Amino acid sequence: MASVSVEAVRKRYGALEVIHGIDIAIPDGEFVVLVGPSGCGKSTLLRMIAGLEEISGGTVRIGQRVVNQVPSKDRDIAMVFQNYALYPHMTVRENMGFSLRLRKAETEVIAERVQRAAQILSLTELLDRHPKQLSGGQRQRVAMGRAIVRNPQVFLFDEPLSNLDAKLRVQMRTEIKALHQQLKTTSIYVTHDQIEAMTMADRIVVMHDGIVEQIGTPLELYDTPANLFVAGFIGSPAINLIRGILRRDGGRCWVATEAGVDLPLNGDAAGQDGQAVVYGFRPEHLTPVENSGLLSRIEVVEPTGANTFVYAELSGAQICGVFSERRSFAAGETLHLMPQLDRVHLFDAASGRRLAA
Amino acid sequence: MAPGRLSQEATWGLIFLVPYIVLFLGLVIYPVSYGLILGANPKSYVRLWTDPVFLRTIVNTVVFLGVAVNIKLFLALLLSGFFVHERRWIRWLSVVFILPWAIPSIPTILSFRWMLNAEWGMLNSLIFRLTLEDGPNWLLDRWSGLGMICVVHIWKYLPFWTLILLAGRLAIPKDLYESADVDGASGLQKFRYVTFPSLRNLYITCTLLSTIMSLGDFNSIYLLTGGGPADSTQTLATLGIRYAFGMSEIEVGVSTVVVALPVMLPLLVLMLRRMKKGEQP
Amino acid sequence: MRKIFTEARLALIGILILIWTLIPIYHLFVMSITPRVETFAGALWPSRPTLENYETVVEQGHYYLEHFWRQLWNSAFVAVMVCVITLAIAATATFAISRLKVRGGRLVSNMALATYLIPPAFLAIPMYKVMGIYGLLNTQWSLILTMVTFASPYAIWVLKQYADKLPYELDEAARIDGASPLQIFRLIYLPLMAPSLVAIGTYALLLAWNEYLYAFLLLSADKDITLAVALGHFLTTDDAPFNVLMATGAVYALPPAAVYYAFRRYMVSGLTAGAVKS
Repeated sequence: MASVSVEAVRKRYGALEVIHGIDIAIPDGEFVVLVGPSGCGKSTLLRMIAGLEEISGGTVRIGQRVVNQVPSKDRDIAMVFQNYALYPHMTVRENMGFSLRLRKAETEVIAERVQRAAQILSLTELLDRHPKQLSGGQRQRVAMGRAIVRNPQVFLFDEPLSNLDAKLRVQMRTEIKALHQQLKTTSIYVTHDQIEAMTMADRIVVMHDGIVEQIGTPLELYDTPANLFVAGFIGSPAINLIRGILRRDGGRCWVATEAGVDLPLNGDAAGQDGQAVVYGFRPEHLTPVENSGLLSRIEVVEPTGANTFVYAELSGAQICGVFSERRSFAAGETLHLMPQLDRVHLFDAASGRRLAA
Repeated sequence: MAPGRLSQEATWGLIFLVPYIVLFLGLVIYPVSYGLILGANPKSYVRLWTDPVFLRTIVNTVVFLGVAVNIKLFLALLLSGFFVHERRWIRWLSVVFILPWAIPSIPTILSFRWMLNAEWGMLNSLIFRLTLEDGPNWLLDRWSGLGMICVVHIWKYLPFWTLILLAGRLAIPKDLYESADVDGASGLQKFRYVTFPSLRNLYITCTLLSTIMSLGDFNSIYLLTGGGPADSTQTLATLGIRYAFGMSEIEVGVSTVVVALPVMLPLLVLMLRRMKKGEQP
Repeated sequence: MRKIFTEARLALIGILILIWTLIPIYHLFVMSITPRVETFAGALWPSRPTLENYETVVEQGHYYLEHFWRQLWNSAFVAVMVCVITLAIAATATFAISRLKVRGGRLVSNMALATYLIPPAFLAIPMYKVMGIYGLLNTQWSLILTMVTFASPYAIWVLKQYADKLPYELDEAARIDGASPLQIFRLIYLPLMAPSLVAIGTYALLLAWNEYLYAFLLLSADKDITLAVALGHFLTTDDAPFNVLMATGAVYALPPAAVYYAFRRYMVSGLTAGAVKS
């Protein structure tokens, strides 16, 4: 096992730069998720770490070794691909043993290690089947088995669950996490799905347009998003964002929207009077109140059983609220809502950056 | 690519490519250039122009291509519509149908040649027995000779093009026909509005490709009529060989082929574009 | 009622197709079992069918057939060599172009495609001269190399279409698993391409076995020529023993038919997919 460090890494295709200098330090044993919308460069970064793409600038280290010039096969990594990339003409056993066979390992050693990996992943029954005889989840497991057998320094996962149906995805998510807790191998996992990132990661790297927007634990990103992009990307349903002008008057502080609504703030909020800001609050941090609060008109109500999602119009914007207590909401009804002031996020409208208190 | 890997892969890539490149340089580029040099003598063209056989050959070639290629592809289009039916016996028939293409030309064309022999061929014997009249001199007349050349050519290559167009038909999504059925289309309307538009492009590509390939059909002519009688059924492919090897006029032989280039090159470019476009669907 | 009509129509077309296809083959067969005395009777079926013509062939019992077995072997040798060399050249080239993405690979595949569109008969004269310069004239290698030249462009084109369809992640996975390019070629590429390799191999085999023009130009000694050329020799006289010729022709046509049917499964999908796309 080893740490991985990415220092000022860039990727250019001709004149087009798609990754603009990225720094990530991953300590030994950590499970890091690279997340971002498609085209943000997360897969390219992973492939550079894997040695499948040339590194245009900067340094990638695995352990203490700079691997920029090291071919994939000598980087001591294993990778799980989105489409599994199982060799169709080999049995599960052969697939899993392929890397050891290439390294000229003894037949008994191969057999033993394949057997052990198969046990960990409950694949023992399937060892003599071919990939096309397996279900999606089983193929996924074989792909992981192939990685485990190697006992590599680092696992790389490239959207490994996106070809599975929703239910299986949740199950495999748990399995991968359990596997990591068992093996403790440094893992880098790429996904576009923020839920996957939140549930699996020790730390999340949010990427966007070839740069890192924020690195942090799932809850750090959730509680203190560094900018509008991260705030909008993490959390489902998405955070509510309303534009306005920050106002200060004595000890009082609020955001005035164009529609003339005053959004409440704690007195110690950051920012200057007159600054254009974006006011953000998460759907679950909204409480219905009797008569003070913000007046909004309910447009759609979606009960899910555990929670009720309410979409309402507030100051010309559509907002969402999630309420766990049972109470009847009806479309067309007006509602007084109050954001929890200590969980309101303020961002500078121009730069998108979080205004720190 | 990381330089370490790059060099290894690029090296292997080159090694793997070398055999074909050597073959290509030695046996395509070299002969083609050699041919162009051989065909560069203006005297050869004067010689061709003054040889009545040559002008007749040009006419023959145009007629052969115009008739054989079009009839062949039209029949292939129709037959692909037959073979598209799912019946066990039709599958068996398709197995037999492909025979002409799979087996060598020489025995079958010689069989045709003999069958069409005016005096003792099977066809004229049959005609005589049925009508008590002598049948025509199939291969001893320019136009009926060319006609038989077309028949033999079509017989030989019809299966291949039928197969190609059949593959094209099978690639048409079934739901197009189903929705046409729902809309109440008749069989003819389905051909007009579903089959034909889907196959049109393929059909044109096939026509171009088949024209180029038929231009080089040596066997159907040489083995059936030998270009005779009196060189009246030669085409460019056989005439070049006749000059070069029958009359030892190598340069004139090459020039015969060079004459076709102004027609062939645009076809070739057109074809290349079409085929490359189809390459990445 | 309508259904019966459709079936009847199909059956009628089917019979016409069958007759059309079989006429020359039937004629070939009938003549090959017609005794020599009935050669010129033009009958639909011989009054006394006989195998004497085949006996003549097998026993090399005619002036034209002195080297029959030798020539049959020559045909087989040329065909197998062309098959093997074409497969080797096309498989390595497409691996370099499609999987290793070697620089200039596109150019090479375009050139191959252009070569595919040159009618072989048009290159006959210069090819003959060039083979003379290489000193290969009148050796079977001249024929083998020529046929490889004409088989490989199509082979490359078809194989490339299939190679491009293999997921690239397989190569990447193999590379991470520790495979060298040569190992990827051997352990991943070749096995996965096997069906199309069979199709292309069959194509090259048939092309070479069936070739007449180049065999006739490039080879001359009776002991070197292929069966196709030997059959062509029958044409040089008027009093050729046509029944024996037809029997020889039948023997000559049998192996490609057998090979084709053995690999038909691969051929149809393999060749039509690559032959024309639009």
